Amino acid sequence: MKINLRVSLKIPDAEAATVKNTLRRRMGYGAVLEDLRRERLWSIEVDDSVLDPESLARRLARELVNENKESYKATVDSIDFEEGYVPVKVGLRIEDGEAISAQKRLRNRLGFDMVRSVERSSIWKLSLRADDPERTAGEIAERLLINPHKDFYEIMR
Amino acid sequence: MKIAVIQFPGTNCEHETLVAARSSGLSGELFRWNRPAEELSAFDGYIIPGGFSYQDRLRAGAIASKEPVMDALREEAERGKPIIGICNGFQILTESGLLPGLGGINVALASNVMVSKGEIVRRGFYCAWTTLRTETPARRCSGSFILNKGDLVSMPLAHAEGNLVTADEDLMERLNEEDQIVFRYCDEGGRVEREFPVNVNGSLESIAGICNPEGNVLGLMPHPERSSFAWQLPPTDSAKSAGDMTAPGPGRRIFESMKRYIEVMR
Repeated sequence: MKINLRVSLKIPDAEAATVKNTLRRRMGYGAVLEDLRRERLWSIEVDDSVLDPESLARRLARELVNENKESYKATVDSIDFEEGYVPVKVGLRIEDGEAISAQKRLRNRLGFDMVRSVERSSIWKLSLRADDPERTAGEIAERLLINPHKDFYEIMR
Repeated sequence: MKIAVIQFPGTNCEHETLVAARSSGLSGELFRWNRPAEELSAFDGYIIPGGFSYQDRLRAGAIASKEPVMDALREEAERGKPIIGICNGFQILTESGLLPGLGGINVALASNVMVSKGEIVRRGFYCAWTTLRTETPARRCSGSFILNKGDLVSMPLAHAEGNLVTADEDLMERLNEEDQIVFRYCDEGGRVEREFPVNVNGSLESIAGICNPEGNVLGLMPHPERSSFAWQLPPTDSAKSAGDMTAPGPGRRIFESMKRYIEVMR
């Protein structure tokens, strides 16, 4: 089974603000992009034999989330996003050293033997005033959110 | 010969870059990103120095590459004027498509991955003195104009994302065939190795610097402005132990190349 930790900042997200400003002021999306938010997503594959995944998710979050500045939502297997936003997942298509380090840390040093794999990605949530929001979101991903030589994107709908 | 050293929010090597450029006989000034972009045309060449433009938000160089000043730089590049991108400047040039300049974005400068004996031994930020081997003949590129193929140049580097990767399987062959690979990381004897510590960041084919097909735009990860005077060199360097601290360091040859390129192309 897969535990998903969606992590967002409690404090203002300067990176999301910069990306939003760049899209609106520099790239012609001023009339199209209404809002943009960002989350970090940890997708953690664990043994199916885990009996209480919600409790495990809370324990994992204590290691991966800094609750002084971040909040999180934990789900098992599925992810549901709020209405009105097109969620764009951006991850590395090359090896992700931070995800590998997190996996090793969880398994080898923190005792989470049930962890099988760890993936890390960003979710860019776009509120768009467009006839085909998903197509526009894909265009924005290709023009700014990814460098295709190291990143991939996926519209999560 | 007047050059502009482009300063974005978060750039942090602009002053020493300008000092190094002036030491080679160029004149110049800092050019903030939000000045009217058309004022760029008054300059003979351009340097995008190192730092963390826009705090590396999204990914290194991505936000700066969308600024109007980059559109103006693209026009100046098409006129044949020289542009050198150092470290974050190199990242901005790759994100803008000016390098390697084959249409669209052709490469990424990803997080460093240090491989030794087939194993990953380290990742991320790395700071060290390094030696570059010149891979192109003299006059091929604005930033290596006076360097001959095989010449070695030492300078420090300090970055977390200099690992040149590409999803284009044919790109390396093309860069090699077109002499667009200007510098490779090598040991002090000039020997290129695929693995750390000679290949400091895991870059494909140990690439440290590339140019565009026309040769007027160069990007490199190490910092030539940090080895432009003898006083900047390590204590063990013979040029430093010679005693004249203001004597030229090896990095100055990058700026002298730019100056010579401008003289020849005028």
